[in-house]
Amino acid sequence: MKYAMLVLKNLLRSKRRTILTVLSIAVSLFIFSALVSLPAVANRVLSDTASSVRVACHNKAGVTYSMPEAYKQRIAMTKHVVAVVPQSWFGGIYHEMSDQFPNFAIDPEQAETMWPDWGVSAEQWQSFRDLRTACLVGPGTMKRFSLHIGQQIQLRGTLYHFNVQLKIVGVMGGKAPPNFLVFRRDYLEEAEGRPGLVDNFWVRVDKSENVPQVIAALDEGFANSSAETKSETEAAFVSTFINQFKFFFQLAEVLGFVVVITIGLVAANTAAMSIRERRGEIAVMRSIGFTSRTILSLLLSESLLIGLIGGIVGCGAAFLVLHLFAVGASAMGAFGDIQMPAFVLVGTLVIAALIGILSALVPAMSASRRNIVDALRTVV
Amino acid sequence: MDSKFAVDLEHVVRTYKRDEFEVHALDDVTIQVPESRFVAIMGPSGSGKTTMLNLIAGIDHPTSGRVAVGGEEITGMKERDLAAWRARHIGLVFQFYNLIPVLTAFENVELPLLLTNLGKAERREHVETALKVVGLADRMDHYPRQLSGGQEQRVAIARAIVTDPTIVVADEPTGDLDAKSAEDILGLMVDLNQQFHKTIVMVTHDPRAERYVDTVYRLDKGVLAGVEPGKRARGAEAAEASA
Repeated sequence: MKYAMLVLKNLLRSKRRTILTVLSIAVSLFIFSALVSLPAVANRVLSDTASSVRVACHNKAGVTYSMPEAYKQRIAMTKHVVAVVPQSWFGGIYHEMSDQFPNFAIDPEQAETMWPDWGVSAEQWQSFRDLRTACLVGPGTMKRFSLHIGQQIQLRGTLYHFNVQLKIVGVMGGKAPPNFLVFRRDYLEEAEGRPGLVDNFWVRVDKSENVPQVIAALDEGFANSSAETKSETEAAFVSTFINQFKFFFQLAEVLGFVVVITIGLVAANTAAMSIRERRGEIAVMRSIGFTSRTILSLLLSESLLIGLIGGIVGCGAAFLVLHLFAVGASAMGAFGDIQMPAFVLVGTLVIAALIGILSALVPAMSASRRNIVDALRTVV
Repeated sequence: MDSKFAVDLEHVVRTYKRDEFEVHALDDVTIQVPESRFVAIMGPSGSGKTTMLNLIAGIDHPTSGRVAVGGEEITGMKERDLAAWRARHIGLVFQFYNLIPVLTAFENVELPLLLTNLGKAERREHVETALKVVGLADRMDHYPRQLSGGQEQRVAIARAIVTDPTIVVADEPTGDLDAKSAEDILGLMVDLNQQFHKTIVMVTHDPRAERYVDTVYRLDKGVLAGVEPGKRARGAEAAEASA
C-alpha cells in the first residue's frame, strides 16, 4: 500500500496520455465485449429454450413448406407422444415494417401441456383456450411496444392479405423466447378460408430417451407421402435457425480479437514511450535502493491499472448499452436481444488486465534491469 | 580491510569496453577515507572521479580490486543484496538533483524510507526532520518545478540523509548551481559533517570546494595523483598552531 501513492502519482504524470490510453482500451474492449456477446446469444438460446422432450416435425423439403393438418391425428397416435400442437407462421407486423417480430398461430388445446416452461399461468392458458382472438406475448415484445394485458392489438399481415385483431390474455415468461407472440390457429384458418395446412408440428414425448424412437417413427410414417417429414429435437431445430447467423458470429469473434490485438500494440507503444522517458528516474530509484523487482512491480502496476480502468469503463459501458437499449432485438428475432453473459464480462476484464501487463512487460523489464551507471548517464 | 575506514578501496581497477576500445577508468587505485570526514575527489574530466564514486556507492563493480564501505566489503555482493545495502548505507546526491518531478519535496524525501519498515507516522517524522535540517521545512508540499536549483539540491540532500546512511556520496553537487547557491550547499554539507558526523565523499570540479573539505584526492587519467589536506583542514591546523 505504501507504494500506491507512487503508482498513482506516476499515472497522473501525463494526464492526457493516461486518459487517452484508458479511453482507447475502453473503446476497444467495448467493441470486443459487445461482439463476443453475440455468439453467446446462441448458446443461451439453446440452453434456455430447448427442451429434451420436444420434437419439431416439419416438411422434409424445408420449414417454409406446409403439411396437411390431418397429420396431427396420426402423430398423436404415435407411441410415446403425449401432446401435438400444430403451428403456422403468420409473420405479421405491429404498425410499421420495422415493427417486425416473430408471431405464430398454434392450436390451443394442448399448448399448456406442450410448453409448461413458458411461465404462463393456468388462468391465462384458460383464457387462451376460451377466446378465439386471444394471444400470448413475450416480455420483450410487451416492453418494446409498451403493451399490456387486456389490450386489443392488430397485426398486419405480410404473407397473408388480411390482418388479425387480437387481445392480449397473458405474458410469457420462464423459458419462452422473449420476443414472440402466439395466437390461435383456428382464427388464422378461418380468416384464410380453412386451407388445412400447417408449417410445423410440435410433438411432446413422454421421456427424453424415447425421442429418437418417436423421430424415427414419425419420419417413417410419412415417408412416400405428398409431404414427407423431417423430425428433429427442439435443440437441433433451433440451432438450424441460429446457424443462419454462424458466419456473423465467427466474424464478430475474429473482429473482436483483432481489435484487442491492435489496441494491445498501441498500448505497448504508449507504455514503451512512457517508460523510456523515465529511464533516468528509474536509475535514480535503483541507486537509492529500489530493487529491479520492485521497480518492475511498480511499472506493471501502473500499466495494469490503466488496463483495468479501461476494461471496466469499456465493458461496463457495453453491458449498460446492451442491457438498456435491447440491442439486436429485431435482428435476433424470437431469441431476444443481445445480453452480455457473465463469462464475457469476466473474460473482458481478464483481457484488460493482460493488455495492461503485457503491453508494459518488455519495456518495464528492460528499464528495471538496465545498468544503473548507463541509465544515470541518460539523466544528464 | 580495515573497518575503521568509512571507505576503503584496495588496488581497484575499472575497465570499460567502448565498442572495440578498452577504457581504463581507474587503474590500481587505493584510498582510505576515515570515518566522519568530508573529502573531495577532484581531477580533470575523464580522470575517473565519477567511476570511483559509483564504486563507493555500490552502483558499479570494479574489474578487480576490493571495495569496502563502512567496514563491509561490497565487491562480491549480488545485485539484490547490493540494493538493500545501498538503501541502508548510502545517501546519493546528484549534480542535477534528480528529484522525481511528480512528487512533492516531502514525497521525494520519503522515497528511500518506503524501503524501510517504518510506519507512516515515523516516516513523516523522519522526513520533516530531514527537511528541517536542510532548511526547507516550509517547502514540503512544493513540487521540484516550484523550487529553485539550490532548493532542489537541498531536497536531494534531505533525501540522501533521511535514512541516516553511513556515508553520503555527492557527484558534482554544486555543478549546476550559481555561486551563492553553491556556497550554501557546501556550507550545508559541512554542517552535516560537523553536526551529524556524516562521512561525505564528494566529486567536484569546483575549486571553492577545497575550502570546505578535510581531504582532497586528486585523480588523473584513472590514477591517484595526490592526496592533500583541504583548506579547511589547513585552516584548522593553522588555528591550532597559533593557539
